[in-house]
Amino acid sequence: MNGLRIIAIALIILLCGLFIYIAEDIPVFGDPQAPPIKAVKLFTLEAAQIMPFLDQGLVPGKLSGELVKRGFPAPLRVEKVPDTEGEWNASISKQEPHYAPEEKYYWIRREGDRINVLRYAFVVRWIEKGLKETAVPNMVTYGLADYRGYDTLGETTVIFTAGVSVILLLRRRSRL
Amino acid sequence: MEEERDVVIETVARVMIPFIQLFALYVIIHGAGGPGGGFQGGVVFASAFILYIIAFNLAGGRERFPESINTLFSSLGLYIYAGIGLLAILFSLGAVQYLNYGFIPFTTHFEENRALGMDFVEMGIGITVMAVTASIFFDLAQKERNGKEGGKGD
Repeated sequence: MNGLRIIAIALIILLCGLFIYIAEDIPVFGDPQAPPIKAVKLFTLEAAQIMPFLDQGLVPGKLSGELVKRGFPAPLRVEKVPDTEGEWNASISKQEPHYAPEEKYYWIRREGDRINVLRYAFVVRWIEKGLKETAVPNMVTYGLADYRGYDTLGETTVIFTAGVSVILLLRRRSRL
Repeated sequence: MEEERDVVIETVARVMIPFIQLFALYVIIHGAGGPGGGFQGGVVFASAFILYIIAFNLAGGRERFPESINTLFSSLGLYIYAGIGLLAILFSLGAVQYLNYGFIPFTTHFEENRALGMDFVEMGIGITVMAVTASIFFDLAQKERNGKEGGKGD
């Protein structure tokens, strides 16, 4: 009986070690470039037409035209992404109180002789600017209580409504 | 109604309830800096009441946390939340910014205001969740007891 226990414990430890060994090699879940996490692809353009403008830091007229035609705001400014080759950020003007009127909005990437135009997901701003804009280090909390404050107010209202419903259904007495 | 009393359970509950409540307050207050927040803290606080009822009795729990105060608290949290939003409307002076806490002048710093506003909102959420969870538990427990008594009467 005792020997069986020792063998069982040894096997459990072995399995734990094997699990840790394997788990270290499992890649991170999800695609870091997926549309909800990073950016949504809008369209592609010929590189030769707009590359010269992008290299000089100007907004190409063709790019603005294509964006406006599809109902997106035209970019104000284009700047190169630091430490990369063939990637640019384009900012748009936003009428938000207190903060700077520009927001990083489009992501322009070169692939061969085509240029992909992508729109950043909201998560990018959430991750990059949350701490600076709200002075709260917890990403979940500033999402829950600040950026999505309306949502949380509604959730709390749902909980309150559920509580009142239980009071009305289960409490036989007439007073609340 | 005669109830069996267990010394071990009562003693452990008496020692643990203050610590559970303290931990709940810690979770609510540290919602901004670490893991935690209003929902979790509220549920932990309500679990202290539930432990009290399980260890002692329902009538004592109702005496310490009466119905009137319970119902008041379940709406008080929502009033705090919506009131912070209304304060933001008042102080944003024309640019109607409901729930944009930065405009409420707690401090001189816009970002600090947002952080403090979030703390108050979390407290409101915590109060409502605590009161509603406790209220549902009290109601369920009372219903069961009343039903048993009604059965005896019949």
